Formats: sequence, structure tokens, C-alpha cells
Amino acid sequence: MLSVNAFSLSLDDKTLISNLSFDIADGHVLSIMGPSGIGKSSLLHYLSGTLPDTLSATGDAFLNGEALHTKPTQQRKVGLLQQMPLLFPHMSIIENLLFAIPTNIDKHNRQQQAQNSLQRLGMPDKANTLPKTLSGGQQARVALLRTLLSQPDYLLLDEPFSKLDPALRREVREFVLTEIRRANIPTLLVTHDPEDATAMEGEYLELGEMK
Amino acid sequence: MPLQKIKWTQWTIALLLAFPIAIGLIGTLLPAFQYFPPLGQDTLSLDPWHSLFEQGEFYASLKLTLITGIGAPILALWFSLSLLAWGYQRPFFRKIETLLSPILAIPHAAIAIGLLFLLSPSGWLVRLFSPWLTGFDRPPNWISVQDPYGASLIFALVIKEMPYLLFVMLGAMKSLQASDTIKACQALGYRRFTLWRKVLIPQLYPIIRLPIFIVIAFSLTVVDLALIIGPNTPSTLAVTLFRWFNDPDLDRRLMASAGAVFLMLVIALVLGGWELAHQIFSQATRPERSNGKRSGLSDNLLRSGVILGLMSLLSGFIALALLPIWSLAKRWRFPDALPAKWTWDNIDRATPLLIELTSNTLLIALSATLLACFIALLMLETLRRSTHYSTNKSSGYNKPHLFDWLIYVPILLPQIGFLFGLHVLLIYLNLNGDLCAIIALHLMYVLPYVYLTLKGPYLAYEENYLQEANRLNRQTWRNYVRIKLAMLKPALFTAFAIGFSVSIAQYLPTLIAGEGRYSTLTTEAVARAASGDRKQVGSMALLQAFFPVMIFWMAQYIPPRWTRWRLALKTSLRRINPRRNKKCSA
Repeated sequence: MLSVNAFSLSLDDKTLISNLSFDIADGHVLSIMGPSGIGKSSLLHYLSGTLPDTLSATGDAFLNGEALHTKPTQQRKVGLLQQMPLLFPHMSIIENLLFAIPTNIDKHNRQQQAQNSLQRLGMPDKANTLPKTLSGGQQARVALLRTLLSQPDYLLLDEPFSKLDPALRREVREFVLTEIRRANIPTLLVTHDPEDATAMEGEYLELGEMK
Repeated sequence: MPLQKIKWTQWTIALLLAFPIAIGLIGTLLPAFQYFPPLGQDTLSLDPWHSLFEQGEFYASLKLTLITGIGAPILALWFSLSLLAWGYQRPFFRKIETLLSPILAIPHAAIAIGLLFLLSPSGWLVRLFSPWLTGFDRPPNWISVQDPYGASLIFALVIKEMPYLLFVMLGAMKSLQASDTIKACQALGYRRFTLWRKVLIPQLYPIIRLPIFIVIAFSLTVVDLALIIGPNTPSTLAVTLFRWFNDPDLDRRLMASAGAVFLMLVIALVLGGWELAHQIFSQATRPERSNGKRSGLSDNLLRSGVILGLMSLLSGFIALALLPIWSLAKRWRFPDALPAKWTWDNIDRATPLLIELTSNTLLIALSATLLACFIALLMLETLRRSTHYSTNKSSGYNKPHLFDWLIYVPILLPQIGFLFGLHVLLIYLNLNGDLCAIIALHLMYVLPYVYLTLKGPYLAYEENYLQEANRLNRQTWRNYVRIKLAMLKPALFTAFAIGFSVSIAQYLPTLIAGEGRYSTLTTEAVARAASGDRKQVGSMALLQAFFPVMIFWMAQYIPPRWTRWRLALKTSLRRINPRRNKKCSA
């Protein structure tokens, strides 16, 4: 369960978000919508611990009752998926996946996990190919599985579907939802596309312009 | 780079850069005013200046320095602008472009030796036309190299500098949106050379001003090239000073220091004069640019520049081709265009010496360049993270950082004088003649080029990849190497190749820091260039050119193929030993 209490965000003297609170249960997706520049992405940065100094934020965030906002990024175990899939171009698909699997797992199991992921992606033959040979939709799916393989405690999605062409979007959304339920972690999705929100079959919040 | 203490690192590096510069300057300035404790001189006076100005040789040398040091950059700039205007974005020109970096990599001493083989009275050019045209059956009594006017030195400088300027210009063109401009002007009916003259060159010049200044400073102060192919009685000022610095009469050293200070003033004055001339020139041509004429007589200036530039490039290539021919020649009598007999004997005979020279050369070049790459990465990381850079990045305006100023100083200062000033420090530290001292001095000249080559790609790197890697696992140093540096491989390889070739070419730093105890291919080739043993000098110059060209070629060839090779190797290992691999292929 990811909980945010009384979150407020301001840039200089301008308040962007005020007093936002929500809970997300494990395996569920909360979608946050709103026009660009409203501070949606900054909310994600706040939760991942990478908020730039120019913005000031107040409020608390808890993961399963444990305070999140006081921890540095590297201790948060956060998964973040953005528009760019950010697959490392100089590593093969399986190397990209292996890169994310925690090192305390023994080598045999790491290999096994990566192979399983490839099966789920429907591309077991692509293990040794480079990311650039995959289509945009395939890259997005590999990126999601790579993030999940790092065993994050919660997941943040920053418009991960907006760069895909419409035909692919539905397919990738479905895949993402299935994998999130399978991983059973709370997920926050930020988007400006209402279809993304409905496809995630969860609650959604709409942020408006502050007067 | 998960680096702590950014501020601290930044100031430490800045101090380490500034320290040798300051010592070198002080070590030149004080002796110029008679203050030189190692020789028991500790009262300030103007005596060194008086004796400098009383030397007739000083004025003759100064004149030669001004002729060659101003003439060569003007010609190199003229030819390179012409070649660029003529060939830019044309298919055949791409081939010339790919040839540029190997030429750049070749140490100038090797080119100068090749030119000696080409142009001297007994050189290949005269052989080619003898005896059928010239009637010579022995070398004529001409002074075609080391001529008293410095013409052959200017020619050698042009061959070295033109490819460099062309290379810099091609890089600068990327920021000009030139192809749109060319199309727009051609649609208006402007001829190619005219539109370059009126529109593109005026935009290009401000971007390449600093490289031009480097070329001018180099031409005014070069020692090794002038020793090989420059005039010798009198010689250029840098060479004259070099002789005075090494004179057994130690008083001459003080006079030489005064001369070195004077040479710095000359650089400043020439650069100032150059800028002034450029201002006047651009004011004078301003009305002509907008007079609406679609072609003009001045186009011929560019047209002739193309022909002369191509001829210079061609002579450069022939000069280089003569190096292996000489090193393999057994008998090569005068009017023959090619050796009558070939042999490996020259190389065999020289092998022990060549191996020693090569191992010294490679040891120095590899250590200096690796160190330079490491320091450049540290500098760039502090630069990237300094508030200065991040606040400027958003506004799109990049004010030069402290590093950007410091890094140019060693390249712009004359090596002669400056390095002798540093030598005093080495003596105090008891490091004179030490290999570490040679590497340190090389580092000072290698670092600027490595830093400048890496700067663009390093700052343009998509930092998101590294952040993503750090979210996926927490081994930040490992991620820095495996993700960021691995993705910057092409830039790192190129920077390494450039640094390596700069190190190989160094003459004075090796000589002064090493006090002659360590010879490299370059110092030995320069020392023997005049010896007349063309077969041995040819082998040395050939090796001297071989290593940088090979490293450059590898730097271009390997990075794009690296990942493919690595994956192929992994797959073939798995095939050989499938069982073992299941457990440790991670």
C-alpha cells in the first residue's frame, strides 16, 4: 500500500498542487491526469526522491506504513518507467534484463528469471539481439519487465504509452496491467490520455488548474 | 560519476592545472630579469634584455619567425576555406574527410622528414624529372629545403595545419545549418564560391577563431619542424632560443629567457594584429557582401586556393609514401625515381634501436593519454555537476568555465622558455631526467586535446540512462563504467587516439624533462633528420607515423563493432561449453 498525505507542490510562489492525498493498494493502479505543466511529473519525482531544488514540496509518503519521503532515492526501491524505454543500446536484450536482477540471487536463478521474462514477452529468440532491432512496443514491454525484475516495492509510470502508435497502445497497456497485478505492487500512473486511465481499471484523479 | 566533494575536486584540479603554468611563467620571467639563483644570479637587472637586443641574430631570427609564423596560418586558412567551399557536402569530398584524421594523427616531424625526401635537391621531385627533362645526373646545387626565406618551413606548416583547420571547420559547420543556407542562396542564383564568400565564411570565422589562434601560436613557436626543414643560419626565433638555452655559456640562458618572454609578447601582438586585420577586412568587405552580385572576381581567390590546397595535400601524401620507400631501399642512386634494389636490411640493422625507441615512445604515450582520459573525465564530471553549468544549461547559454580558460594556456604559450622554466622546478624536485617527469610534461599537452574532444559528447550524454541504471541496481560506480562510459565508447576512443598522437609528436617536453636520457622515435628522428642517413631516418619516421595512424584507425573501427563482437564471442563460448555456461553466462 502506497499512501500520500497532504502533498503540496509549489514553484517559487506559485502553488501547483495543494493538499493531495491518496492510497494505492497492492496490485492496483491509480491514474493521475491533468494538462501539462500542472506538476504531475514532479509528483513522481517527489515519490522517487529526485525532485529538483527549484521546486518545494510538503507532505508525507508512506509505503506499507513506513515513511518514504525521508529516505534517499537509492534506498526507496522504486521502479520508474518513462516515455523513453531507456534500454541500454550496447547490451543485448537478455543482458538488459539480467542487469536489473538483484545480485543476491544466484547465477543460475538469475538466468532462469531472465529466460522466463523473455518467454512472457513472447520473444525467446531475441535474447542476444540488440534493443535497436526491436519495435517501439517491444522495447516498452522489455523496459517494463526489466523494471519489475529489479523487484521494486512500488512502481511509477510517467506517460509510458504516449510515444507508441495507437494500435500498439492497447496491447502494451494490457501487458503492463497484467504484469503489475502479477508483481502485486502499488502503481501510480501519470498521463494526459483518459484512455490510459480507463485501461488500467483503477481509480483516477484529475488535477486541475489552481486559481 | 558518483563523485563526492565536487567543489573540492574542482579546485584541486584547477590548482594542479594552474601550478605548472605559473611555475613555467615565473621560471621564464625571473631569469629574463637576471634573477636565477641556480647560477648565483639574485639581483634584478635588465642586462639579459640589453644583450638580447645587441644580438644581430635576434633580429634576423625574429624576421624569419614573423614571416613563417604569419605566412603559414594565412595560407593554411586560405587553402582550407577554399577546399571546404569547393567540396562541402559533395560525395567525393567525404572520402577526403575520412583521410583527414589519419593525416592529423601523423606527427609533424614525420611529415617534415618526408618533405625533406621529396623537395631537397636530391629529392624525389628532382629525380622524377631527371635526367630526361632537367639533364641533371647529379643533384643540383639548389637550396630548395631549409631555404633562408623559410619557404619550405611555411610549406611544411601549411601541410600540417590545413587538415587541422579543415577538420575543425567541418565540425563547426554542424552548428551553422549550412545546407539550408546553401540551398536558399543557390535559389537566389548565387554561385557556390560567392555564397561561401558572402554568407558562410563570415559566419564560420567566429566559431573557429580559437583553433586559428592555436595554429598561429604553433607556427610562431614550433621547434622540431623548424629544426628539420627550417632555415638554419639564421634560424627562426624559437630555434635560436633553443640553441641559446642549451649553450654551455650559462649567461646565454638568461638572454634566452628574455627572448622567450619576447616571443610571448610577439604571440600576443600577432594575435591582436590578426584580430584587428580581420575587423578591418570584414568592415571593408561588408558593402561588397550585399551588393547583390551573384558571382565576382574574388571567387578566383577561392578557386586558386582549391588547386594550391589540393597540391599541398598531395605533396603531403607523397612525402609520407617516401618514408617506407627509403626505409626499404638498398641502392637508390640519384636520378632513379625508385630504388634499384630493395631490402629489409635497414630495418633489421636498426631493430634493436627501434625497439628501444618504440617502447619508450609507447610507454610515455600510453601512460600520459590514459592519465589524461581519467583527469578529463573527472574535470567534465565536476563541470557537469557544477551549479554554474546546470543553471546555464537551461538558458541555453554556456559561459566558459574556469577549466576552459586554464586548459588552453599550455597550448598557446610557447614551449620554448616555458618548459625551461619548468625544468628548474624539476631540478628542485629532483625529478629531472625521470620518466615520470616526461609523462607529466606530456600530460600537460595531451590533456587539453583529450578534454576538448570529450567535452561535447560527455555533456550531451542522456543522463537518464545512468539514472535508470542506478534505479535498477545500486552499484553506482559499476553502473558509471558499464553504462555511461560504455555508451561513450566512440568519444572515449577518439579522445584517446587524439591524445596518443599528440603525445607521440612531442619533441621539446621529452627532451627537456628527460635531459636526453630517454629517446623516443620523435626525438631521435628529429636529431638524425639532418644526418643524411635517409634509410634509418625513414624507418624512424615511418614508425612514428605508423602508431598514431593505427590507433586512429582502431578508434574509428572498433567502437561500432564492439558490441557485435562481444555478443558473438559470448555465443561461441556458449556453443563450445554449453553446460558450464548455463551457470556463469551472467
